[in-house]
Amino acid sequence: MTPLLSFLNVSKRYPDGDREVLVLDRVSLEVDAGVSVGVYGARRSGKSTLLRLAAGIALPDSGTIRFDGRDVAQMAGGERGRLLRGEMAFMCSADWRASPGETVVDHVATSLGSEGLTLREARRRAMRVLDQVELGASGAQEPTTSLSAAESVRVMLARALARDPRLLVLDEPALFPSLRDRDSFYRMLRTAASQRNMALLVASEEMAALQGFKVLVSISDGELVSTEAQGTVVALPGRRRANTEWSGR
Amino acid sequence: MASVSPEKTRWMRGPSTPLRGALLGLLLERPGHGGDLANRLAVRLGETWRVDTNDVYRLLEQLEKTGLAASRDEPKRNNNRRTHLVYYPTDETPEALTVWMETLLPREPVRLGLQAKLSVARQQDAPRVLIALKAYERECLVLAQLVSPTEGAARSWTALCMDCTREAVYSQLQVEIDWSTRTRRRINEFLERTQ
Repeated sequence: MTPLLSFLNVSKRYPDGDREVLVLDRVSLEVDAGVSVGVYGARRSGKSTLLRLAAGIALPDSGTIRFDGRDVAQMAGGERGRLLRGEMAFMCSADWRASPGETVVDHVATSLGSEGLTLREARRRAMRVLDQVELGASGAQEPTTSLSAAESVRVMLARALARDPRLLVLDEPALFPSLRDRDSFYRMLRTAASQRNMALLVASEEMAALQGFKVLVSISDGELVSTEAQGTVVALPGRRRANTEWSGR
Repeated sequence: MASVSPEKTRWMRGPSTPLRGALLGLLLERPGHGGDLANRLAVRLGETWRVDTNDVYRLLEQLEKTGLAASRDEPKRNNNRRTHLVYYPTDETPEALTVWMETLLPREPVRLGLQAKLSVARQQDAPRVLIALKAYERECLVLAQLVSPTEGAARSWTALCMDCTREAVYSQLQVEIDWSTRTRRRINEFLERTQ
């Protein structure tokens, strides 16, 4: 079966002053349709780079990333944009921007602008997903400027779900003021993913946030370790490292 | 806390005190046979604790000898002709549980198997140590997969306590993965400098 998303020997470097930092070092990873993959890593471990590459927001320096068999790097910018607004959704809680004067339901509905829906239809669909994230009825008519941190993350989730993506890429959604908010959010996320057979690729600095994920991956120094690697290590050894190839159990 | 006579804390000696204490708590909730108590322990503590049913039987016998549990031979629910030992709390069980809750027991030593390897590794062992560290990270991730997810706001005191035990597992695994990745980084940086 072709994985929905695949990384094969993907490397990514970023300039850092007069040198380059190798953020991802020939990593390979597969995300199958409907499967949840949680990426755990400390700050500056390369999680966000991995997710931005997965979403086609950044392109690899080498290696191949495929979405549904299509090479993302070979797509034109417009095609990658359509992919990100259609079959895939990308969400980063740090990107939340409230729009003065806009209600929650309209904030979600306007994200459906390119779907060919009337505003009424878009609002109806927005209400449906707001119900799923437990912000229907009362929360839908609130101005976006009045939302708490936990509510704004739910609105972002509703916006992402409204397009019914096949893959949802979430970067650090766990910036919640309380554990109760965090656990509720992840419960909603797992339920939504399972109801829609939607794949998840979620990165977090908290292991506990990734509870219930089918596949767990840790990332550090550009390398991945995965629960799925039986006998073969997911990340291949980099040039600058000693040979750490896994020889099996 | 008022001082407690050594007699009342004698049962807390030895390596399996946490399990003995947890068994007292379960007995006070409701009696059960060894298998039932082992299952309830596994649910409460989570799969990562790897509760051994044979250990549970052994600990129940110990608790009975110290007067903190009492057993009765009773017919099995699904087979009246066969019996099994059902364990009950005694009059002393509630106080023993309270004393255990109040007693600060010495924490168990930190003993990672990998520490022993690292402590004597030669520089030429670096690739093997790096492989072992990656394998260890993977083991931690696999253990994390065993923990059943919480369902949001806890509905009861018991559910809250179970959520907190899960959180303990995640926190511990997270710290161990962080240690392993930091160690790999330090080894790699050392090798870069010296090779």
